[in-house]
Amino acid sequence: MATDRNASLDYTRPIRRIVIGTLVLCLMALFLLWRIDSPRVERMRAALVDRVVPSFDWALVPVTKVVGMVEGFQSYARIYEQNQELRRELRQMKAWKEAALQLEQENAKLLDLNKVRLDPQLTYVTGVVMADSGSPFRQSVLLNVGARDGIVDGWATTDGLGLVGRISGVGARTSRVILLTDSNSRIPVTIQPSGQRAVLTGDNSPVPPIEFVETPELVRPGDRVVSSGDGGVFPAGLLVGQVALGSDRRLRVRLAADYERLEFLRVLRSHSNEVIEDPGALIAPAPIGPPDPAMVQGAGNG
Amino acid sequence: MVDPLTTRRWLYRALFAALATLLLFLRLLPLDTMPRTIPGPDLLMCLIFAWVQRRPDYIPCWLLVGAVLVFDMMLMRPPGVWTALVLLGAEFLRSRQQVSAEMPFGVEWLMVGAVTVVATLAYGTILAIAVVDHASLAKLLVQAVTTLAAYPLVVFLSAFVLGVRQASLGEITRRAPAR
Repeated sequence: MATDRNASLDYTRPIRRIVIGTLVLCLMALFLLWRIDSPRVERMRAALVDRVVPSFDWALVPVTKVVGMVEGFQSYARIYEQNQELRRELRQMKAWKEAALQLEQENAKLLDLNKVRLDPQLTYVTGVVMADSGSPFRQSVLLNVGARDGIVDGWATTDGLGLVGRISGVGARTSRVILLTDSNSRIPVTIQPSGQRAVLTGDNSPVPPIEFVETPELVRPGDRVVSSGDGGVFPAGLLVGQVALGSDRRLRVRLAADYERLEFLRVLRSHSNEVIEDPGALIAPAPIGPPDPAMVQGAGNG
Repeated sequence: MVDPLTTRRWLYRALFAALATLLLFLRLLPLDTMPRTIPGPDLLMCLIFAWVQRRPDYIPCWLLVGAVLVFDMMLMRPPGVWTALVLLGAEFLRSRQQVSAEMPFGVEWLMVGAVTVVATLAYGTILAIAVVDHASLAKLLVQAVTTLAAYPLVVFLSAFVLGVRQASLGEITRRAPAR
């Protein structure tokens, strides 16, 4: 047997060293390859995840559901208090709903009067969360929609309440969502009502900090944070959360999305905006005589 | 006919692969999507170190590299580095196997602790040199500590439930003429 070399034979030890050394070199070469040509290796990784995780699916779903049921059962103990609390909340919500309906009607009327055209192409694909990153240092989840459903890298993902993250890594049947809490996540945001631009920086904590605020004095805890659409990364105006002052006196964001249970996520289809590149040509009076095709082309561009 | 020792060896290798799959499966369950303050233990490394010091023939290097590399890929770690470090650590412990067989468990634990901490420091250093964005060294060391805390439990389970113990003298003498 080739594997019990470590017993006593003298010549096997150097051979073993060579084998181990070669393996370590190969592994470091893989790491270097990943460092140099990250997209290619990441594509390999996405393909591997795409093969492995859906084959776990039959077991992932029942186990997750059973644990959810156990947690639900535990909450029966507090059912009376919850019921009271829900009733209270419902009363408040009814008042809010009335206000929202009125505002919606008013808003629709005003939009109609102004002939404002909202982006009509903001539709979404809903996916089910299959797995999380599994590592304590990475915050991401895996959705069961992928390239065959038309998912594209970089699209925003919400859970209906607020922004959750962005697509990063698409396989044929799965796609990975980097959550806003991941240390790689950087999202341009606007803080309402002061209109300050900032960057939401994930740091592996449940309440990510905001950085690059121009005048922090204008930002107060409780302000709404929405995505700003700067850099064409995200559609603007998606709710992210509320500003809160962390225990370390940094401005942080309490996220609106329910990170405790991410079950269904919406992937927003965003289409790249048309970019206006040329400064516009001079509009000259039409020449007399037969039109010059080159001139027609130029005028068309302008 | 295959001799019973080889059958047993392959059975335990299959068991190791199954345990690794189970661990991966448990890690991937989307139960807890909130970031945790204390990172959990790296149970695969515990398992490898515990088995390598008891029955090194149950974990040949190809099986070790395969398992850890799949973990690297699935858990979004930079591929290769952690695998190489675990392989080196396991080889170090394997070469000390004859020594640690006579040692009490405390010494073995200390040895595994030293290997884990060195591997963690090397991991942090390599990632820092390659300018890879990674978790802070403090967090990695916290994970090393939780891994060490889980180590006795893994040893206990693998010794008394799965039956991975040091080969008895009878087995060694029986094995000797087979080669």
